[in-house]
Amino acid sequence: MGDDRTWATSRFRRAFIGSLIGLAVVAIAPFFLDIYLTSILIRTLFLAAVVMTVDIIWGWVGILTFGQSAFFGIGAYACGLVFTHYGFGPGWALGALAIGLIAAALVAGATGWLAFFHGSSPLYASIMTLALPIILTQVIFSAGTFTGSSSGLSGFPTYYWSLEVWLWIAGVFLVLTTAGGWLLVRSDFGRVMIAIRENELRCAYLGIPVSRIKTALMIAAAIVTAAAGFGYAAFSNVVAPELAGFQLGTEFLIWTALGGRGTLFGPVVAAIGIETTSSWLSGTLPFLWQLLIGVVFVTVIVLLPRGFAPLCTGLWRYVRPKSRPFVLERTLALDSDSRLGQRASIDTPPLLIEQLSRRYGSLHVLTDVTMTARASQLLGIIGPNGAGKTTLMRCISDGNERSDGMVKINGNDIGRASPHKVVEHGVGRSFQNTSLFDSLTIAECLMLARYRLDGAQLFRNKTNLALSQPALDILSATGLDQRLTEQTKNLSHGMKRGLELAMVLASEPSVLLLDEPTAGLTHAERAVIGKVLSRLTREYALCIVLIEHDLDFVREISDRVVVLHQGEILMEGSVDEVVSSELVKSVYAGHQVEAAE
Amino acid sequence: MAVLALDILTTAGILFVVSSGLLIILGVMKLINFAHGAFLTVGGYTAYSVSAAGYSPWLSIPAAAIFGFVGGLVVERLIVRPLYDRPLDAILATWGLGIVIGQLITLGFGRGVQFVPTPLAGTTELLGVDYSAYRLVVAIVAVLLVIAMSALLKLTRFGLNARAVIMDETLARGLGIDSTRVRAWTFGIGAALACAAGALITPLLSVDPNMGLPWLVNSFMLVLISGVSFPSLFVASLILGGAQVVVSTYANPILGGMTIVVIAALVLRINPKGFSRG
Amino acid sequence: MSSPLLCLNDLTSGYGSAAVLHDISLEVDRARIVAVLGKNGMGKSTLLKTIMGFVRPMSGRIMFGEEDMTNVGPNRMVRAGVAHAPQEHTLFPDLTVEDNLRLGVISDRLFRQRLPEIEAVFPRMIERLRQSAGTLSGGEQKMLLMSRVLIAQPKIVLVDEISEGLQPTMVNRMAEALIRARDELGIAVLLVEQHLSFALSVADQVAMMKLGEIVERGTPQELGEGDRLAAHLAV
Repeated sequence: MGDDRTWATSRFRRAFIGSLIGLAVVAIAPFFLDIYLTSILIRTLFLAAVVMTVDIIWGWVGILTFGQSAFFGIGAYACGLVFTHYGFGPGWALGALAIGLIAAALVAGATGWLAFFHGSSPLYASIMTLALPIILTQVIFSAGTFTGSSSGLSGFPTYYWSLEVWLWIAGVFLVLTTAGGWLLVRSDFGRVMIAIRENELRCAYLGIPVSRIKTALMIAAAIVTAAAGFGYAAFSNVVAPELAGFQLGTEFLIWTALGGRGTLFGPVVAAIGIETTSSWLSGTLPFLWQLLIGVVFVTVIVLLPRGFAPLCTGLWRYVRPKSRPFVLERTLALDSDSRLGQRASIDTPPLLIEQLSRRYGSLHVLTDVTMTARASQLLGIIGPNGAGKTTLMRCISDGNERSDGMVKINGNDIGRASPHKVVEHGVGRSFQNTSLFDSLTIAECLMLARYRLDGAQLFRNKTNLALSQPALDILSATGLDQRLTEQTKNLSHGMKRGLELAMVLASEPSVLLLDEPTAGLTHAERAVIGKVLSRLTREYALCIVLIEHDLDFVREISDRVVVLHQGEILMEGSVDEVVSSELVKSVYAGHQVEAAE
Repeated sequence: MAVLALDILTTAGILFVVSSGLLIILGVMKLINFAHGAFLTVGGYTAYSVSAAGYSPWLSIPAAAIFGFVGGLVVERLIVRPLYDRPLDAILATWGLGIVIGQLITLGFGRGVQFVPTPLAGTTELLGVDYSAYRLVVAIVAVLLVIAMSALLKLTRFGLNARAVIMDETLARGLGIDSTRVRAWTFGIGAALACAAGALITPLLSVDPNMGLPWLVNSFMLVLISGVSFPSLFVASLILGGAQVVVSTYANPILGGMTIVVIAALVLRINPKGFSRG
Repeated sequence: MSSPLLCLNDLTSGYGSAAVLHDISLEVDRARIVAVLGKNGMGKSTLLKTIMGFVRPMSGRIMFGEEDMTNVGPNRMVRAGVAHAPQEHTLFPDLTVEDNLRLGVISDRLFRQRLPEIEAVFPRMIERLRQSAGTLSGGEQKMLLMSRVLIAQPKIVLVDEISEGLQPTMVNRMAEALIRARDELGIAVLLVEQHLSFALSVADQVAMMKLGEIVERGTPQELGEGDRLAAHLAV
């Protein structure tokens, strides 16, 4: 625990020192710059803070947003409208700021509701963020003299402080918001953000409320952006529809891409550099400069997808090879309050499926599947390829998948619940393919699996992970506990399988859905997994549903077997009944049985 | 009433013509082409150049189509193909391309607004009212285009290959279909349709370096709720275009301008598949 | 005799950095059926995908006739005369039977020319030309898959577990179709299978694959009509 504190302190100390340096630069800057450059820089610093939020939304969470300008515009118009029409003074200013921030938050919340739901494609979400500034611009146009329509508002009363003061305000704002953003992306919550970017679906199946997190981040970013817009308008004394327009929104993206998405500082530096130069050159070479930016932008997207920042850090590593990125050490512990298996009850079956069907257009993948799985039971599902086994798993773990029928988990009808809600009822699902979160470490993956139970700290990192005994057993049996700081992309196939299972167990399910957990494993690895699964049913009363190709493995560990064939249950019974059944022999891959005899 | 009906029909026609290039690219390549607006602009300037050079304005449409096709093939090779695995980056790159095209046009033709003579001036009497003849021509072109594009996809070998790539690219490749070439052709056709549409609509409007931009978002919305089918794009154009005309006529034109975006966003929220499946 | 039609030379292949196949060498002559047997997860499908060019080999060579086709994409392989009957992603379920068959050949002229050939083997396919492939039963889908191979008339076809999930009568029809392809159309077949008796009933040569390596090979007679092979397919 002591370790925890030093780390946190060092994290905060770094943020503090960084902020101090930033503030110092801001403090002395006015004395070295001429008036023209200073006034350009003030606007640029406000814009840079917006670009920082765009980088968090796009670079870290992976939402390509064109709509950040809308929030900027809302902040700016809050200033312009209140000062023009209602009044001016410290009270009015604070009130206008509050209106701007609240309006931006509300709009961001509504946009989040529209754009993010389980199953919405990234493309759709992008288009929604694109629609936002366009609608807002139309609204501004339609409000006539109130908003000044296309010419906007200008000449409203504002604080005519000196340029130095404005530069300090803008600079302090940028430094503080960036420091906050830096702490956020480096925190445990930041790991969750990366996980959403890398594999959103997997996150949902771990019980992480992806859509809610995305919406919350949109709202937070909108608030910072609206504040920046407010400052921008108060300083420049002009608001115009362009401030809310989608072209400004795309410029934010361009600066982020050029600076290097997902680096936070890169986009900030790029915004300051490009926008200052633009203003500088706009008198002499307006179109040529835009053309140049466009060409560089396209080239960077095609050839340098991570922008220019990695080039700089690469150079830094070359100069100082010793400075390695810091990896947080985390320790494992036994979760004494683990509720694994405590939901089991004799009366309500953990998993009840009634007349479930799944159709894709004219294709019937599952027809009238009715089955029950009990606690302390390992139910094997076998059947040839295309029998509908994986589809069945999907229908159990996502309420929107089935065409007809009912699924009850621990007595709760899942209705049309999205996967993260189904996880709350007690379902844990492992996948057939082993694509995890490539750039996260093993410890971070485990933390992710605990998100539903433990949450994630917003600006800090937790260093100890409390897990249930079976999860710890798997980690030590596969040697994963010795490599907690390793990135998962460096793991062998067997270790990935082990981690996958450990993650599902860490989320403390009562119904475990496993899709070919032993595919591609060696005999020794299979044996380990088999042992763990048997123990989970015996000692923790878990209900395990297992899809398996390997009939021998099923025979070793299953209590009961369901045979699926062309989307229907062909037979159900004990392993021996199924294997000796003539029906199964004749229809389901008679050769496997034949070979095994 | 007759005017309203004709307005709805011709607006739907214009919307369909303007969006069809986007639809085919989205359908086959799963890519939203953000340079679409710029392609429309290029078509407009092609029309302007053709008529400025003294040729018949009717020639401007095939000229724009050919120019768009060749340009589309080049763009696909240089920008789109390397980004096939990164769809969101492809969006950004095509947007960047749009900026480049816009600036090149500004450098070449200036920022000013230009006008293109209409090939068919005057009005014609229909349903008891005098109505712009050229708008009716655009609506007829739209109907012909629905038929032609559906036929291209349903009846030709290219269409079969393209549908195979849409449905299952791995299997299509396993059957010897050169999916890279199918995509290149698709992008070429999409760009050709966009440029031709730009040339087609310019006589109704004026030409300036940003003329394509206002169409961009409405086209996105129509295409997203239409799935990959030209008939359903036509239906979507008719319904949403109709709503736009009604709102513009009875409420105000600015609200009308955002009708399509708002309705489409709500439809997509309720049913992410839009009009394409029920 | 000239060189074999398909010749694999020390082929090593897999996904990412993990090799699934190790130093596979295998020859298939013209108008011959070679069966590669093995349990699930032993690398059989990967072998076919590597030959087709879906998976890049890490080392070794793939010769087709006189030509080196080691690093060639699927569409070049198909044009050279290699067809693939995969285990998954077999058909376009939303296209009609006719369109599925049309996609098997390069031109619609060849499609019409060769349609009678299909009628002779699988008359039911001709009855269902207008039906969408997804509505066919499992057995009919396999028939369509075989029909697509027959209409393509490749020099060689790579068949991935065609017998899986089929009833015995249907398995026999698949065997007949493969033998017909070999004897009347001169098509070579590289078959990967778990179904021992099916494989032995059609194959001229058999190889047993285990964990990505070929552990035994010979004619069905040499391998004692399968007793030893059955032992491999068991645990």
